[in-house]
Amino acid sequence: MTLHAEVNIAQLCKTGEELCGDNVQITRTADSLIVVVSDGLGSGVKANILATLTTKIASSMLARGASLDDVVETIAQTLPVCRERKIAYSTLQILRIDHFGNATLVEFDSPRTLLSRAGHVMPFPAQTKTVGGKTVLAGHFELQEDDWVVLVSDGVIHAGIGGLLPLGLGWEGLAARLAEDVVNATDTSDICKSLLSCCEGYYLGKPGDDTTVVAVKVRRPRRLNLMMGPPVASEHDADVVRRFLAAPGQKVVSGGTTATLVSRVIGKPLKVSLEYHDPNVPPIAYLDGIDLVTEGVLTLNAAVDRLRAIPELRRSTRKDGASLVARLLMDVDHIHIWAGGAVNPAHQNPLLPSDMNIKLQVLGRLRTQLEALGKIVQIEWV
Amino acid sequence: MLIVEICMGTCCHLMGAQDLLDVLDALPADQRRLIEFKGVTCFKNCGKGPSVKINGNFLANATPELLFEVLQTNLQ
Repeated sequence: MTLHAEVNIAQLCKTGEELCGDNVQITRTADSLIVVVSDGLGSGVKANILATLTTKIASSMLARGASLDDVVETIAQTLPVCRERKIAYSTLQILRIDHFGNATLVEFDSPRTLLSRAGHVMPFPAQTKTVGGKTVLAGHFELQEDDWVVLVSDGVIHAGIGGLLPLGLGWEGLAARLAEDVVNATDTSDICKSLLSCCEGYYLGKPGDDTTVVAVKVRRPRRLNLMMGPPVASEHDADVVRRFLAAPGQKVVSGGTTATLVSRVIGKPLKVSLEYHDPNVPPIAYLDGIDLVTEGVLTLNAAVDRLRAIPELRRSTRKDGASLVARLLMDVDHIHIWAGGAVNPAHQNPLLPSDMNIKLQVLGRLRTQLEALGKIVQIEWV
Repeated sequence: MLIVEICMGTCCHLMGAQDLLDVLDALPADQRRLIEFKGVTCFKNCGKGPSVKINGNFLANATPELLFEVLQTNLQ
């Protein structure tokens, strides 16, 4: 079974600092998710540079297929040396999860990564080994649906020092808190928010260290199919629509001609809504068996803008086609775009503004934005 | 009963099809009852939008004023 690893980050900066000395890089490759967390020596700009260098080197090397051993060795040899302390230092946590849930973890000098399954919280299983003269912890584990992995920087473990807890929250305290939180958490942002607000509370609002929480949840992928434009060869229309309807996940059809085509193939009437909510977005339509039917390029172009402002999109109650499609896209992981190659005569009108004419351009913007949000996008030309 | 179909496609939308809906509100209630408005995805007449069909008769390059006039003629 294919699994999807959902990931979220939350950070606090040490009091008085504008930059966080912890850095997190999240990379999705064709077959896996790579999360790299680093806590740089000290705080502020110097720590930020060290941490960013570490995570950037690690994630770029891993994304290009380097082994974990090579990454640790490279980082150990290349970090710049601090002028005051005469050492080059940053912690390192690397988590890699493939589409089958196989997880690999490497930790160097960081708090133990937490693993939660069915309400039980334990350290992610790992053994010590020596790489490039450094002693690291490394482990493999096969994750299942609904497992959680939480990576933290030491700011979380020490939460409360100088505040409410003289000895800090500690790993056990964090594990107990996580065990309570996972019960009611629906997604990774819930865990990030609750753990971070817990730390902020113990620090009495004045964090004594940079504090980072990265939560990963493994679950079944949520899928959506978006059909835009009729197939290039009309004799394939029925075939493509049937494949589209048989694909797993939600169905969205964008474009009047495409919607008419789908309606014809499935033999159900297409009903255009005459209520409109936004003068810039044409109305939606209704078709049995399809979750949402919208106009094509104008709606998707506006949907990209909506997706650029996710918090606003979550708050808004707008019901125009672009907001509706953006909300559906925001909540899924895998998006399969069925892009029809037929030339649209409507787009050949010289009176139209030139920046909207091509489907390709809109698809490109949509893809870039969705990928920036961590979605996996597949475009199939039909 | 007068059946009025308005194109809601990309091109007609850009050329002002939404404004045609305002004609609805401008009609007196007794006339409004005699008209059934429908949205249509595309009439394949994109170069001459906004497109409207009134009881099957095509009206190209429609404006609210033009539509209002044609409706009045048809209702008489």
